[in-house]
Amino acid sequence: MEAQVITIRRDVLAEAKASASIQREHFTRCGTLVVNLVSSPGAGKTSLLEATARSMTGRYRLAVLVGDLETDRDAQRLAPLVPVAQLSTGGACHLELPLVQRGLKALGNPELDFLFIENVGNLVCPASHDLAEHVRVVLLSTTEGDDKPGKYPKMFRTSHALVITKLDLLPYVPFSLAAAAEDARRIQPAMEVMSACALDGRGIDRWCEYLVERRQQLLSMEPDRACR
Amino acid sequence: MHEHSLVRTMLEQIDRVCAANQADSVAEIRLQIGPLSGVEPVLVMSAFELLKHGTRAAKATLVLDQVPLAALCLACGLESEIHDYGFHCVHCGHHHVRVVHGDEFRIESITVDSAALLQPSTA
Repeated sequence: MEAQVITIRRDVLAEAKASASIQREHFTRCGTLVVNLVSSPGAGKTSLLEATARSMTGRYRLAVLVGDLETDRDAQRLAPLVPVAQLSTGGACHLELPLVQRGLKALGNPELDFLFIENVGNLVCPASHDLAEHVRVVLLSTTEGDDKPGKYPKMFRTSHALVITKLDLLPYVPFSLAAAAEDARRIQPAMEVMSACALDGRGIDRWCEYLVERRQQLLSMEPDRACR
Repeated sequence: MHEHSLVRTMLEQIDRVCAANQADSVAEIRLQIGPLSGVEPVLVMSAFELLKHGTRAAKATLVLDQVPLAALCLACGLESEIHDYGFHCVHCGHHHVRVVHGDEFRIESITVDSAALLQPSTA
């Protein structure tokens, strides 16, 4: 037996990242803006998507893929408003691209303007997994505390936008919008910060406007679109 | 706790490298882990202990090299080490920086025991 050192120098997720890039290019050619929504459990991802669907349906073609460890409760909530497929991770703490691709197939690979992926509620593991999204949006609810960005640096560093949710509860909790925004921008200076309340509709227009702007940017990158 | 799925992926990659190099078993695995990798070294170790059985790496020693977090300033072009996740250039103060080290979870190298190397055909 002889010992031999083999240099590999390859990221463990290199293959997954390469697949995500190819899938993202496909979405870009189709003019589909893919939005990966991440947050802790109960921050209001499903509620934000309900409000988004109410606001944008009719003007744009939307679909939602919703990831959970168990149950299809979120899919049931969204189903009256928007085409939705539930992705069950069977206990896993995050979504990976093959599950997203399976979900799209379950929806019949429709032509879309926006595809929303509601990730598993978790501010840690989903940060490492590229789902071929164009925009990663992290939600932080006012009840969670304004000191959270610094505690979850990878998630906030890899996100493009922060939506502070449950704005209606702001009078009752010690949460500073400015402090949360400042903490998030220390980690990600380019972070777009918005705030919203899905129940009373505050901030939903601005949020939808942001999505439309991001899609416009995508379309201007790829003027000669050919989906198939 | 996504370390399990990452370590499983790592072991599959190592198995493929072993097969391509006609190596029977792995003596050492060197990994590089950065603070922004989203991977916890202690959990990588425990996942490895659980998942290594039945693979070519069953008897391997896992060595984790921790890489500091560093970013390149897109304004002045100098590199800064990033402390406490404050993403700005320590030289000019600009916030437009790109991470150059510290987000990796990477297989640096493996040391293999290769019976094939002793055979006359490869000598």
